[in-house]
Amino acid sequence: MSTPANSGAAQRMQRLLAMVPWIVAQDGPLTAEVCARFDVSPEQLAADLGVIWLVGLPPYTPDALIDVVQEGDRVHIRFADVFNQPHRLTPEQAVALLTAGSSVLALPGTDPDGPLGRGVGKLAALLGVDADQVLEVDLGAAEVETLAVLRRGVSEQRQLHLDYYSFARDTRSQRNVNPYLVETQDSSLYLLAYCHQAQADRRFRVDRIVSATLLDDTFVVPTGAGELGLFEPDATDPRVTLDLEPAAAWVIETYPMESVEMRPDGRQRVTLAVTAEAWLARLLLVLGPHASVVSGAPELVDAGRRAAAQILARYA
Amino acid sequence: MSSRKLERLLNLTALLLDARVPVSAEKIQTELDYPDDLAAFRRAFERDKEELRDMGIPLRLEPVPASFPAVDGYRIPREEYALRDPGLTIDELAALHLAVSAVQVEGLSAIPGLLKLGGIVAGVGSDIGVRVAPLPADPNLACLFAAVAGRRPVSMRYGDQDRVIDPYRLEFLRGRWYLTGYDHLREDVRNFRLGRIEGRVVPTGGEAFAAAEPSLEQAGAAWELGDEEPVVARLRIGGPPAQWALQHFGSDRVVEVAEDGSVVIDLPVNHRSAFRSFVLSFLDHAEILSPAELREDLMRWLRGIT
Repeated sequence: MSTPANSGAAQRMQRLLAMVPWIVAQDGPLTAEVCARFDVSPEQLAADLGVIWLVGLPPYTPDALIDVVQEGDRVHIRFADVFNQPHRLTPEQAVALLTAGSSVLALPGTDPDGPLGRGVGKLAALLGVDADQVLEVDLGAAEVETLAVLRRGVSEQRQLHLDYYSFARDTRSQRNVNPYLVETQDSSLYLLAYCHQAQADRRFRVDRIVSATLLDDTFVVPTGAGELGLFEPDATDPRVTLDLEPAAAWVIETYPMESVEMRPDGRQRVTLAVTAEAWLARLLLVLGPHASVVSGAPELVDAGRRAAAQILARYA
Repeated sequence: MSSRKLERLLNLTALLLDARVPVSAEKIQTELDYPDDLAAFRRAFERDKEELRDMGIPLRLEPVPASFPAVDGYRIPREEYALRDPGLTIDELAALHLAVSAVQVEGLSAIPGLLKLGGIVAGVGSDIGVRVAPLPADPNLACLFAAVAGRRPVSMRYGDQDRVIDPYRLEFLRGRWYLTGYDHLREDVRNFRLGRIEGRVVPTGGEAFAAAEPSLEQAGAAWELGDEEPVVARLRIGGPPAQWALQHFGSDRVVEVAEDGSVVIDLPVNHRSAFRSFVLSFLDHAEILSPAELREDLMRWLRGIT
């Protein structure tokens, strides 16, 4: 995050325009505190102050220039009335700040009346907006208590017992896990953990955790934990081959393909690994008439038709 | 940037901020560290103005009063330049710093903004306990935010049509940015995906519009983000996903909780194919109860699976 001495013009100038009024208002702050607040090295700060010292107003006589004094471990700036207020936030800075603040505020369990809530409120007032009305970031929903248990498991490195609804398999199961981290992706929260039952790393969607219980057993986080890929097909997983209409081509971008081949009729023939039958059934249901099964493991070729028939039975 | 150039830019900013009347280019050339050669001065001055504008510093070009022959001069209006002190306390600054460390928008650093608000303050916590992948940027995001905040209408090209929009609200949902606003072409409130806006959004320069109704329906699920004729779909969800549905949709959408644990919910739909995909994701745990139109559409779709 530290800024090299010769970095962008705008960055250095904007930092100075923010730093000068602050130093003036603090009336001789510690040099070390200025460095920490404005994310600069002592060398960079000295270089910046060397420039400020040459800035002022006509006729640029010594009494019309900004006065900079570094004395002991403190820095003083005087006669900088022209820069007594920082420069306004640009739209880029405003949206970056409000997005970050609103996102974290929207995470289940953040106290809306805590320091962040108050800070975002003041920022919004400064921008003349109602933060809830103008910008919303959805990082995912979760039961506050469940998420709190998961976060505690992660930070205390304690095992968790999960009652979990597996969407891919359409089954509910009980398992013990070593929780590595909670992450959000595409507006869903996930727990990355080592699953004792599967004896492998797994991703659990937090809103499908029916309940989570903190256990007393601790664990050690292995290196590389939490770097779990989204979907890694196993060599032993059954394969299925589909013909996709152009309307179904998004599938190729979305899932790992073993092979893709353009057919003379404009359809694409793809082969992919299937980790769970329910997953393939859902895919075929959503693709509907835009896909047809060419070949595959015996239990898979009828997955779509079978699932469709089961659903249609409800409508009979 | 050399220190000499930085010094000149700061002196230029100070001169124009302090000026009660606009300062002519000629005076700027004499007062500040610019070349004597007129052509060289103009080139350097143009670059400097551009840099200030890129930083968002407002430069006004106005006639210099009582000048003869009439000349234009430059000024930075303090009321447009200066940031009012938001009065953030140490713990509020620390919380904001923690938030901007955890959630970033690609290519848009919040740090320069944070410096203006009082600088970087380390707080008690070092992370928020949730890892958040950086949010994707969009070339129109900042411009639209400025328009939303200032309630200024914008023109943009979307869906092969030029539209004028009163932008109400930005939302980040499932990896994408959306805008909700009043579409003067359709004469209705619509949702727009930022990634589908063609080219750049431009403020029309028109009058500020009145604040949107606070009851404004928020952009939400994929089936609410279309622009088809809206209908209310009634859906029954049973089995393991019923509990999820109860939590997810909350009491205002849930019409009934049956003895077998299944729930009936009403959902507004204006994107029928997205709604169909959502219903099908429940396999045989869900059934569309009404309207008949959506029920029949789903049955037709399922019969087409070969």
